[in-house]
Amino acid sequence: MEDDLKTERKGQLLAVKDLPTLPAVLDEVSKLVARPESTTEQVARLISMDQVLSAKVLKMVNSPIYGFPGRISSVSHALMLLGFNVIRGIIVSTSVFEVMTKNMVGLWEHSVATALASSTVARACGLRDPDEYSVAGLLHDLGKVVATVQLPELKTAIESLVKEKDLTYLAAEKELLGFGHDRINAWLATHWKLPPNIKEGMDHHHSPQTAQLYPEMAAVVHLADFLARLYEFGSGGDDNVPFVQPEAFKILKIKPKDLEAICDTLGERFVEVSDLKFS
Amino acid sequence: MQKIPLNLAKPGMVLAKPVPRQDGIVVVASGTEITEGLIDKLESMEVETIVVEGNPVNMDGVMAGSSYAARVGRLDHLFRKFPDDPWMGRVKEMFRGYFTIKAASGPAETPGETPPKSGE
Repeated sequence: MEDDLKTERKGQLLAVKDLPTLPAVLDEVSKLVARPESTTEQVARLISMDQVLSAKVLKMVNSPIYGFPGRISSVSHALMLLGFNVIRGIIVSTSVFEVMTKNMVGLWEHSVATALASSTVARACGLRDPDEYSVAGLLHDLGKVVATVQLPELKTAIESLVKEKDLTYLAAEKELLGFGHDRINAWLATHWKLPPNIKEGMDHHHSPQTAQLYPEMAAVVHLADFLARLYEFGSGGDDNVPFVQPEAFKILKIKPKDLEAICDTLGERFVEVSDLKFS
Repeated sequence: MQKIPLNLAKPGMVLAKPVPRQDGIVVVASGTEITEGLIDKLESMEVETIVVEGNPVNMDGVMAGSSYAARVGRLDHLFRKFPDDPWMGRVKEMFRGYFTIKAASGPAETPGETPPKSGE
């Protein structure tokens, strides 16, 4: 595809007028977090001023996706336990999916399953801050949903390619757009100022072997996406497992066989989140 | 362990998972025996599903496609893009072994539900 056409597509995808707006309070919060003298209490107070947002955040942090199900009673408690990166990711994901959920049936469930699988894989690999991995898992297919909303005629075209030629959703995107949702993820992550580790999980979840800065993040989300599709929890737009990059196992220093122990945990945890909604 | 809609709950069943309120805070602990009073209380809190010990409810058809046996049956379809790839072939066979053993050992738990596919 010609470069100028690609640039035009990018412009359409990022057309701000139609992108879901993030809650206004998030900008204020980001400024506050950037100042070294700010306290968690101040940040929590600011988020708590938006009561609808606080309720959504509390519901998500209390879900089995994160490490403290049913035990977090306030936003400040959530911030202390999970950190601002996780809370920010939760706010972005609920804001986007709330507006766009009807556009891709099953994608929210697939995203929740990938989030859960991401933290399970990260814990099994002994990685620090497993909840940051689950946020990257939650956001890993955001590009799909944004593309279908910004370019409505694209959605129908992708779906018929998937059906008629039995392509994967990613292959259909590439055939029609010249790039996939992983590229769109990179733009969105920059646009919404997501932290670099979560960005790399989003834009390299199909290619962990080329991740530069946070290969573990990309490899974890890659394997988590595979597992969510293997169990067919929700739908990523087609019924295929993705090619598993052997490098993902090298990056995480595990063997394919180690996925069995991960699945022992995961099979049970999938049940717990099967009716998790974001509002 | 079985996840059931609240309207199928009966006194005497035992909660295998804690029940959270709408905001996620746990209101009933796991291990609690279900009573008529508890069912009324959960209904008033708009709880829709609970997870109970054992497999007390016949959910054939409701949970179709989610058992380990069903996972085994879906493997060839899910891996159909890689018919000649030895590496993906090994991954597939590893999971065939894993799901087969899981399906054979004890009552089928539900490793995941399958919400409607896109476009249906």
